[in-house]
Parts: sequence; C-alpha cells; structure tokens
Amino acid sequence: MIGRMEGFAALGQGLGLRPPFYEAAATGASSGTAVAAVDWWEVISENFMGEGGNPRRVLRAARARRPIVLHGVSMSLGSTDPLDARYLDRLAALAAEIEPAWISDHLCWSSLGGHRAHDLWPLPFTEEALRHVAARVARVQERLGRRILVENVSSYLTYRHSTMSEPEFLTALAERADCGLLLDVNNVFVSAHNHGFDAVAFLDAIPRERVGQFHLAGHETLPTHLRDTHDRPVCDGVWELYRHAVARFGDVATLLERDDHIPPLDELCAELRHAGEIARASRGGADK
Amino acid sequence: MKLADLEARFYELVTARDSVAVTVAEGGPEVRRAVEQMVVGDARLPAIARLEIYADMYFTRLRDVLAEEYAKTAAALGGAAFHPLVVDYLDACRPDHPSMREVGARLPSFLAAHPAGARRPWLAELARLERARLEMVDGADAETLTLEALRTLPPERFATLDLRLVPSHALLATRFDVVPLWRSDDPGAPVPAPSPTALLVWRCELEVFHRAVDAEEGDWLRRLESGDVMFASLCAGLGRGRSDEAAAARAFELVGRWASDGLLRAPEPEGSELPPR
Repeated sequence: MIGRMEGFAALGQGLGLRPPFYEAAATGASSGTAVAAVDWWEVISENFMGEGGNPRRVLRAARARRPIVLHGVSMSLGSTDPLDARYLDRLAALAAEIEPAWISDHLCWSSLGGHRAHDLWPLPFTEEALRHVAARVARVQERLGRRILVENVSSYLTYRHSTMSEPEFLTALAERADCGLLLDVNNVFVSAHNHGFDAVAFLDAIPRERVGQFHLAGHETLPTHLRDTHDRPVCDGVWELYRHAVARFGDVATLLERDDHIPPLDELCAELRHAGEIARASRGGADK
Repeated sequence: MKLADLEARFYELVTARDSVAVTVAEGGPEVRRAVEQMVVGDARLPAIARLEIYADMYFTRLRDVLAEEYAKTAAALGGAAFHPLVVDYLDACRPDHPSMREVGARLPSFLAAHPAGARRPWLAELARLERARLEMVDGADAETLTLEALRTLPPERFATLDLRLVPSHALLATRFDVVPLWRSDDPGAPVPAPSPTALLVWRCELEVFHRAVDAEEGDWLRRLESGDVMFASLCAGLGRGRSDEAAAARAFELVGRWASDGLLRAPEPEGSELPPR
C-alpha cells in the first residue's frame, strides 16, 4: 500500500464538468446509466466565480450528489507578477461554499504586467524559479487554508538555462512547498514526445506519496509535435502510460478531461470505465 | 537568465501583433541570437517555431472566445473583417482579468471607435447587446415578485409596494434598433435605420431576455434602478396628462409586465429590514 498525503482521497474516476453535462450532474439523470459511472466532477474554478445564474445552481446541485474538485487555470504560480489577492479571495469564497475535495492549478505562468494570457506557459527549471514558485504555492496554501495540487503542463519548448529536469523540479517543489502533485499523464506523454525524454522515467522520478490525482485526455498528432487538445479520446500510448502510473502511484483519483468535440456522456463514461478497469486490475481485480 | 527577463521576452514575442518569425526578423540578428540562447530548438522544431506554437495558441484561443461571445456581431461584420478587428483589439486591450469571460468586455467600446465600427455604428450597439446578455448569465440571483404573488397582494399593500428591479438586468440606450439584426443570422440583413431605442436586458430564472421598451417605460425603469419607487409614486407620476383611472391602468399594466417578465424583486417579509441599495 502506498502512503499518500492526507487530504487527497481515492475518489475513483471523475469527469470534467462542461456545459453539456450540467443537467446530468445537477439532477443525476442521463440517457442510460452513464452518469452513474462518474464518481466525482472537476470544474474549472474560474467558470464558477460568477455571483449566480445557472453555473452556480449547477455546481451546488452537482456538489449535493458527488464530490467536486476545483481546478484553476489562472493562479499563474510561476509569474513574476504579484499573486492576485482578489482572485484568491474569490477562490477561497467559492471553496467555502462548495467545500471541494481539493483545489488544484498548474505549474506554469500565465500573466505579466497585469495582463492575462489565458494559456499555460512553461517555466524554466532553475533554482530561482523553484524558490519563486515554492514561496507562492506556500502563500496560496496559507490563504486557502489547505494543501493544493500542482499539475505538470504539456509543453512545446524548454529553456537552455534550465538546470534540472521537470520531475526534479516537481519533486523539489512538492517538498519545499509541502504541496501535492496532479500528474497529467497525457501531458507527460505529449511533453515526452515534444522534447524527446522517456515518459516512463519521468513517472518513475516522481515521489509516490505526493501524487493526489491523475489527468487523462486526448491530444492531436501533428507532423512536428503533439498538441494537447482535449478534443478526442485518450490514445493507446497514454492508456499504456496510465497503466504504469497506476502501478507506481496506486489507485489515485483519475479525471478525464474533454473540452472540445464533446461526445455524448455515454461515450466518455466508457473511457471512465476503462480507467476504472485499469485501477481494479492494479488491485489484483478486487472491487472496492 | 533571470526569470523576470525570460518572462518579459517570452511575453513580448508570443503576444506581438505579428508572428514570432516576423518579430524576430524585424529585431535583427541580435534578437534571433537571444531567442536561440533562450529556447532549445532542434531540426524538427527550431526555437522560433516552438515559440510560434505558443503565439498561435494565444491568439487562436482568445479569438475563438470573442467569436463565440460576439457571434452575431462577427456575423454582421463578416468573418474576413472580424479577424483584423480581433488583432487590433487584443493589441489595444490586453486581457487583464483571471476569467476568460472578461476578455471581450471592452470590445463594444473598442469597436465603436474602430474604423470597422465607425463605418457601421450599429455594430458596436449590437456588440453591447451581446455583451449585456452574456453578463446576465451568471449575474447575481434574487427572489422575484411573481405575477401570482402580485395578484394575491392585499389591496392596502399595493400603495406602499416597493418596486425594485432584480440585480441581473441592464438598460441600454442605442441609436439604432439592433433587435432585428440580433434576431437575424443573415450577414446581409438590412442595415438598421437610425432609431433611438431603449433596450432592457435581464435574466429570469436561468434564461436571458431582451426587449425594446418605450420612452415612458424606459424612464420608469431608470427610476426603479435609482430606488425609492413605490406603486403609489408610479401611479402619481403616470397621472400627468392622464385621468386617475388611466394612470392606474397604465401602472398596473407596467407592474404586471415587469412581474410577468421576472424583473421585480420579491418584497422583503414584513418587519425585516431592506438590504442597503
């Protein structure tokens, strides 16, 4: 049994909550029994920070039925801009209302000079960046009153002056900031292809006890690189890597992301069930 | 290389109006060298091509958000003209809010001053309508005064009935009647004639609505926004130039419509303090 950090339960298989699934999440009703396969929902925090209307109604109703995880895209942990205190206040208020299972964001930067990129830009893996990000993660955790998970992003470039590998950076960050890691298996696969590193070695270099969640998603294969698109099913290579991740990290809460070309819920739930079968196989076929 | 310097250089290249390749070429060999010293490149993907991926993603994502939020404005403007408008807009109005929804907040006013909008001034007003509708979607909730509740209100309560609008509403004054343009998805729809119009946009339950209001209704809605309008003062105000009966009938007509639309807040229970306005 792998000793995992407190606060990140093995929730099972979850799905990113997107508008086509709002009613199913809120009411528990869907064609067939698809929604029953969704053990928990992950929401993009920023999409639910409005004061009212349908998003907040759905979130409250979904929360009454299943655990919710708040996954942010705008914390900009690596930016040299100051942390956005108003953003953190709003996130804290949302968390106080929804009581999420946990909160996560990305190892990246996405703002400069007060401007927002709405993208996940890569950081250099240097001691300076590590000190900077670790201090900010610690401040965020203090403000939110809880540990957060930090996710590895898919990337298309690396910097010449990086002095450590991404797994070394993530490991050191988790230890210094005492945070958890959200391991995006698809992002590891995409980045491994784009930068020519070994995806399995990446996973093997991540400390077992720090991983609180997995992400799975689809990507596009282009002639020169892989592009993280979340617009198609998980490919065989990512499933294979996921098998290795489950074998190494155990039965970690797994989330399927789909943001574009969203198919019927039944179709995504078939992928969720496949993830569940892999997790069950890692337990020697035992149900729980 | 310091983190702050790296972020500044990356940001400048990736968010520039032009492609990374053009920006680097214009910067000369020194800029090219600096980029190659910053980013690892290889035969498959040189450093500039890797930065270009981020530049493409930055622009495409924001353009797609704007195209979705301003679908009718984009259709009326024409796809070919929407793209350069977005380039100019993102150059002048960099996103500065953590929510993607706010990326397009300044587009209507930008379009009004942009050559594309100056030639067709109704487009900026159409964009204002689209924006107002979007802002209602997740605006604050409020309990509404229903038509049924209004009908069962004791007659003696009517005079002092405090008429307050729900928070998720907006009143727009436009120089053109853009509602037919909003209804039409035809880029070749007739140009709206100049016609000063007051547009009311609001959310009832989960749905967003808009409709044109006449000058009198628009005037009273603005007074309701300011507060301190009771049913009796509405009747008195509508009495100018009308008989008492006609004024009361008009007041009931307006309040009935507002209640039916879900525009009025439910009155506070007896004895409770009103929230600050």
